[in-house]
Amino acid sequence: MGEKGAHQPPSPEMTVKVTEAQSARQGPPSTRRVLPREMYGFLFVGPAILFFILVSIFPLLRTFQMSLIDVEAGIPLFVGIRHYAELVQDPWFWSSLTNAFVFTVASVILHIFIGMVLAVLLNETWFSTTLRNIMRGLLILPWVFSTASAGLMWTLLYHPFGLLNYLWVGLLGQEMPIEFLAKPGLAMASVVAVNTWKAYPFYMIIILGGLQAIPPELYEAAKVDGANAGRRFWHVTLPQLRPILIAISTIDIITTVGHVDLIRMLTRGGPLRSTETVAYYIYKTALLDGNLGYGAAVSTLMLIMVAILIIVYLRLVSRGSESGETSF
Amino acid sequence: MKRASDLRFRYGYLIHQVFVVSLTTLSAIIILTPVVWMINAAMRPIKEVLTYPPRLDPSQLTFEYMASLIENELYRGYFVNSTIISLSTLAIVLVLGLLAAYGFSRFKMVGGRYMLLGIMALLMLPTVTLIVPYFRLAHLVGLYDTLFGLIVVNSAFILPICIWLLKGYMDAIPVDLEEAAMIDGCTRLQAMQKILVPLAVPGIVGTGTFVFVFAWNEFLLAVTLTDSPGSQPLTIGLAAFFGQFVRDWNSIMALSTITSIPLMIIFVLFQRWVVQGMTSGAVK
Repeated sequence: MGEKGAHQPPSPEMTVKVTEAQSARQGPPSTRRVLPREMYGFLFVGPAILFFILVSIFPLLRTFQMSLIDVEAGIPLFVGIRHYAELVQDPWFWSSLTNAFVFTVASVILHIFIGMVLAVLLNETWFSTTLRNIMRGLLILPWVFSTASAGLMWTLLYHPFGLLNYLWVGLLGQEMPIEFLAKPGLAMASVVAVNTWKAYPFYMIIILGGLQAIPPELYEAAKVDGANAGRRFWHVTLPQLRPILIAISTIDIITTVGHVDLIRMLTRGGPLRSTETVAYYIYKTALLDGNLGYGAAVSTLMLIMVAILIIVYLRLVSRGSESGETSF
Repeated sequence: MKRASDLRFRYGYLIHQVFVVSLTTLSAIIILTPVVWMINAAMRPIKEVLTYPPRLDPSQLTFEYMASLIENELYRGYFVNSTIISLSTLAIVLVLGLLAAYGFSRFKMVGGRYMLLGIMALLMLPTVTLIVPYFRLAHLVGLYDTLFGLIVVNSAFILPICIWLLKGYMDAIPVDLEEAAMIDGCTRLQAMQKILVPLAVPGIVGTGTFVFVFAWNEFLLAVTLTDSPGSQPLTIGLAAFFGQFVRDWNSIMALSTITSIPLMIIFVLFQRWVVQGMTSGAVK
């Protein structure tokens, strides 16, 4: 890129360039971006970038720095990599990683599966568009509630005398109510269920947008070739949705792995720390136990894992942009 | 035989419709059960919440629980805090977001592509990885336990997706109109204000709803950065209330319902634009 010239005092060459650019602008009218001077855009972008540097990037670096010190005594004490050495030997850290893995994989699969099924249903032709729009609205509704509210709603449903146990005991004739949130194996499944309920609408809507963007001719061509609905889905819908599915799985993995509030409302990491994910472990060690340095070390490791995912994803996205798949 | 095939077509259409509509309706019923249950529990006498068999039709409706919460000064305080936090976050994010989206959409900049990629990386940054430095920094700069601190940090987390959404909208609006306005003597800011922003209103409404819902529901940053009811939002109030009155399901659900009412109203009003924004520009 030859934009360096913008930093230098205007030279005769530059002026020539500018007039050339101007005359080019007055030519054919609608190239999408017409640009005056190269630095002008920074006036608009600058405030946001400055804000990010101060409020996101600087604290991000502090996370790493804080993982190397101890602040408990009041005076920061440099301890080097001691936190990381402890971390490697900390069984709760490893179990929190396993829990996070289970939680994330199960949630993401369910989000995308349910989102896909409902999006396909909503994308069919309905006899009444109004009814379809109402259904769409109702199906998005869980997205609106706060995690705190969602956690409470489900705690009531999961209650030993709640609705789900009424179905279990009252209708299926079982003897003991199920302790959804108090049995180690089951608690994780219950938390995943709530997370699925809360988050699938977002993915449903994005998949729906993707479905609507698939040209109908592709389906007609497949129909002419004799493909049934299942094959049409497999050979037309899925390949067409691929970029979107990659994008939302990445975003979903990163969002899900970072959930603290849901676990805080439902189980507080229990029973027997079976729902304690890495994110909750950070919250617990740093804020509840006040062990900031150690929490920062866990955060740093989590950041590294997330960063790897983000980089892989961004590479996929930028490669897409060269073939015209994305918007930049 | 045209008739026979016509009939078969109609028969197939009918089966298809019954299948699609009933499956969707069934899913909607299952999915809405927790919400109905919450509102139900918020409005019925205390004895009826955990009865066998559960009853959907309350023998009497009561607004007693919600009323007593609304009268309670503590919870009114939480409500006011949530409102201030959400609206201020909305204002900051829209101003910074509109400017940045305009810049990215209308100018080619040195490293603009990398800045956009960086913003996309920030979009995916999990909140929890920053709570430790935020906690410490907020103490150092004196923003701990203040509404302002919470607003700033909230904005930082929701701004990236807003820039992307708004940029998507602006890219779709032809630049010619603004140019015409500028030739007619508008400054660039005026052209943006008078031509672009009105055209982007659906996008702004959709993005704004997104921001408001995020800020209203935010929990982790609030629990990290606040300590007293004077600066805590409703989500914290809800959690604290739950911890304090575990058995009082009526009041818990009443508070949860009250917390959700503003969001449900906003959602019903602006659903169309939110969906539009999410289906068009969010992920590409």
